[in-house]
Amino acid sequence: MKPKVAFFDFAGCEGDQLQVANLEEELLTLLGQVEVVSFREVMKEHSDNYDIAFIEGSCTRLQDEDRLKQIRKNAKIVVAIGSCATIGGINSLRNYKELDEVRRTVYGENAKLFDTYAARPIDAVITVDAYVHGCPIDRDEFLQVVKSLLLGKRPDIPTYPVCVECKKNENVCAFERGQYCVGTVTRAGCNSCCVNQGTICWGCRGLVDNPNENSHKEVLIKFGLTVDDAIGKFKLYFGWQEGKR
Amino acid sequence: MGTYALLWQDICGFKSEVRRKMKILSKEDFSEFVNSLVNDESLNVIGVKSKGNKFAFGPLESANELRLDYDVTLLPPKKYFFPQRETLFTYSLANGQSAKNPAETKATVIIGVHPYDIVALFHMDEIFRETKSDPYYFEKRNSTVIIGVNIQKMSKWNFSPFMGCATVDYGYDLMLTDLGNRYAISVGSQKGGELLAKYAKNVTSALTRDITLVGQKKREIVNMSNQKFDFPTDLIPELLKKTYGESGFWEEHSEKCLACGSCVLVCPTCYCFDVKDNPDLSMENVERIRTWDGCLLEDFAKIASGENFRPTRPTRYRHRYFKKGKYLFDRFGFISCVGCGRCSSNCLPNIANPVDLFNDMYHESLNMGLHVAAAATPEVNIQSEGNIDYVPRLATIVRKEQMTANETLFEIKLDDSSELGHKPGQFAEISVFGIGEAPISISSPPTKKGTFEICVRKLGNVTNKLHTLKVGDKVGVRGPFGNGFDTDALKGKDLLFVAGGLGIAPLRSLFNYVLDNRKDYGHVVLLYGCKEPRELLFSEEMQAVSRRPDVDFKSTVNWCPDNEAWGGNIGVITTLIPQVSFDPDKIYAIVCGPPVMYKYVIADLKGRKVPDDHIIVSLERRMKCGVGKCGHCQINEIYVCKDGPVFNYSKIKGIPEAL
Repeated sequence: MKPKVAFFDFAGCEGDQLQVANLEEELLTLLGQVEVVSFREVMKEHSDNYDIAFIEGSCTRLQDEDRLKQIRKNAKIVVAIGSCATIGGINSLRNYKELDEVRRTVYGENAKLFDTYAARPIDAVITVDAYVHGCPIDRDEFLQVVKSLLLGKRPDIPTYPVCVECKKNENVCAFERGQYCVGTVTRAGCNSCCVNQGTICWGCRGLVDNPNENSHKEVLIKFGLTVDDAIGKFKLYFGWQEGKR
Repeated sequence: MGTYALLWQDICGFKSEVRRKMKILSKEDFSEFVNSLVNDESLNVIGVKSKGNKFAFGPLESANELRLDYDVTLLPPKKYFFPQRETLFTYSLANGQSAKNPAETKATVIIGVHPYDIVALFHMDEIFRETKSDPYYFEKRNSTVIIGVNIQKMSKWNFSPFMGCATVDYGYDLMLTDLGNRYAISVGSQKGGELLAKYAKNVTSALTRDITLVGQKKREIVNMSNQKFDFPTDLIPELLKKTYGESGFWEEHSEKCLACGSCVLVCPTCYCFDVKDNPDLSMENVERIRTWDGCLLEDFAKIASGENFRPTRPTRYRHRYFKKGKYLFDRFGFISCVGCGRCSSNCLPNIANPVDLFNDMYHESLNMGLHVAAAATPEVNIQSEGNIDYVPRLATIVRKEQMTANETLFEIKLDDSSELGHKPGQFAEISVFGIGEAPISISSPPTKKGTFEICVRKLGNVTNKLHTLKVGDKVGVRGPFGNGFDTDALKGKDLLFVAGGLGIAPLRSLFNYVLDNRKDYGHVVLLYGCKEPRELLFSEEMQAVSRRPDVDFKSTVNWCPDNEAWGGNIGVITTLIPQVSFDPDKIYAIVCGPPVMYKYVIADLKGRKVPDDHIIVSLERRMKCGVGKCGHCQINEIYVCKDGPVFNYSKIKGIPEAL
C-alpha cells in the first residue's frame, strides 16, 4: 500500500509547496509511490488519515502549536520543509525587534487583534523526523528525502558547509568575485545552486552543526565588510539558531 | 679518452635523443592541430579555458578557447579520472542484480596540464594501484593522452619549485613549451608521438637553439615562485614527526579553520571518497555512487554508533598535513604535495598554506633546540595484484535469530554456493539494497562450512534496514577484508579472550575456531561483559561454554536492574581480570570491545605482567571501501581495513589515534 502524505503550512510563503507542485514529470513518478491526501495548494480534497506530514512555515503564535501537535499525533513521520519550518528562516528576522513594534508595523491600528510570539522552527514545538532545508527547498533534495523515507532510511543531510559543493562544482569563490558569502558556515545539500548562478550563499539552509562563526565573521571583515554588515549577514536566516528567541 | 670526453659524448648522445624527441610546431599549426583533434568526434578533447577571472579544464570547442598562459586551474585534472561523482554500478532494487556501468570508450585528450599536476597524477596512479588497482580510475587514465605545458605564469601561491614539481621529465605524452611564435613539443610516449603524427601538420625537428631555449625556460620557471621555504623540503617528514604531539601548535594554527574542506577538495593528490546508494524515483534501480570526501570535514571519521575518531578541528587539520608529508611518504616514498598552491588560495582565513605552516614549524623546532635531519628514504614495497571489485556477491539470509532488543544474528549463504573463505577476525562489507554498504565483522569460525554468520546491532541506516529483512531475503557481500587473527601463530598458546558488548562478535569467530581445534591451543579463558543482563549476546552458547571443563569462562554486567535476574558478577569487564589465573608469559590476550574499553583492559593486563606483544586487539573504524583507498578508517598512517582490524598492541601502542 502506498504511504499517504499530506502537506501543511504555517507562517511562510508556500514557496516550498510550490517547488513540489512544480516537480512536473517527476511528480507523476512520485505519485506512483505515494498517495497525496491533503495538499491545499493543488487540490480540494482533505483527509486527516496520513502517514507522512510535510510541514512548511514557522510557528509564530501560541495558537498554532495545537494544530502542529495534532499533525504530529496523526502522522507517523513529520518532515519540516523549507527554512521557515527547519530553522525559523527569514521569519526570525523579526526576533531582533520588539514584538509590539512588529505587530504595529504589520497590522497598524489592529495590532492588538493579532497575537504573536518569536518566530520559531517547528521542532521548537514538536518532534521532527526529517528536514528538507532551503528557501525554497531544492526539488532534487526533496525527492531524495522522500525516497529515503520510502526505503525506511534516515535521509542523508550534509553536516558540511556549502563550500564543499562549490568546490566540486568548480565555482569561482564568491569572495574572489568581490562578493560576500556565508556558504562557509551554511549547511550544504543545495548543490551550491546560488553560487553556481553567479550570486552568493545567503545561508538559507541554516548553520552547520559546529560553525566557526567568529572565524567567518573575521573573513567577512578582512574582505572589506563593516562589522555591522558582517553581523547582518548572519541575521538574515540564522536568527533562531544564533539564539534570538 | 679522458673523463670529460666521455661526458661530452654522453651529453651529445643525450642532445641527439632530445632532438629526436623534441618537435617544433608554429602557433598557427598548433591551433590547426588542436582543431583537428576537436573535429575528430571519436575524441573527447579537454583544455584549459577561462572561467570568470580564473581558469578551469573543460571540453574544448576550438583552439581559440585554449588558454595555455593560465596560472592555475580551479580544480586539477584529476576530475577526469576520479570524478566528483561517479557511478560504480547500478543494480535492481528488487533482487540486487547488478549491471556494470557502461565504460566510457571515448579516448580523451587533455591539453595544457602543468608539470605539478602531471606529478600529482603520478601520485594518484601509485595510490590507486597499491594492493589492488581501482578499475574505474585506470580505465579513464589509460584511455587519456596528456598534453602538458610548461608554466608561463605562476600563481602567487605556487611553490612547486620547492617540491621539485615545477618542471617534469615524465608522465606526459606531449609537453609544450611556448617559444614565442612556436611551440617546442617534447614527445614523452609513443601515444603522444602518434597523436602528433596523425593530427599535426608541418611538424619539424627541434634545432639546437630550440633545445637550449627550452632548457633556459625550464631554469627560469624554477625561479618563478613567490613563496619561500626557509629550509629544504626533504626535512618535512621528520619535522612533522617531531611536531605531532605539540597540541598547542596545532590548536593555534587551526583556530580559524572553518572545516569547510576547501583545501582538500581542490588538492590534486587528495583521493578520499564516500560511497552512497541512490535509488531512482520509480524505486526500480539503484546506482551506487562514489563522491569526493575530505578528512577536514566533521563527520569524516564518524561511525554509525556516533563515535567520531577525529572529532576536533586541530586533529583533522593536523591529519591533512601528516597524510601529505608523513604517512604517504612512509608508504610511497614521496611527499604527496606538488606545490600547486590551490589549498592556500582557496582558504578564506588563510591558514592552509603549507609553506607558512612548515616554516612556522621549522622555526619553532629551532627555538626548541631540536635538530631535524632529513628522513632516510623509506623502504617502499608497493605490491599490486588484480582489480578491486566494488560489486558485491549476492547472498541469501538463511537464518535470523534475534539475540537482544537491538542485536540479531544473521546466517548468510552466498548464492553461488561458494565459501566466504574468511579467517577469524576478518570483516565483510554487507549491502542492503537501496540503503548502502556497511562493514560487519564475521562471527562464525571458518570451520563452519556452507554459510557464515554476522551479529549485527541496529545503529545506522544499513543495520536498521537489515533488521527488517526476512529469511530468504537477499543481501550483497564483498570481502572478506582485513588481516584477521593469526591462528597459526597462536597455536600452542594460552588464550585470554576479553570481549565487551558487541566485541564478542568478531572474537566469537576465533573463539569457536579454537574450540573446533581445541587440542591445538593451551589454556583458554573467556571474559565477557556487557551493560546489563538483557544485553548478553549468544547467551545459550555462553551457557554451554560455561559448562565446558576445558574453558575458564567468566561473565559480568555493569549493572542489573531490579526486574532482571543475574546471579553473576556485577562490574565492568576489568573486574573479571583479577578473578582468573594465568601465566603472563604464556598467555595471549585477545581484546575487543567499545573504544573506551581498551585502555582500561590493557592497563590491567599490563598490571598482571602480560607483555605488550602478547596483547592483540581488534579495532573498529569507518571502513567504507574495505580496500585501503577511501581514507575513512585511517588511524595515523595505518588503514584499519587493510592493515587491521587485528593489531598487536606492541605495534600500535605508539600510534596516538589508535586507542
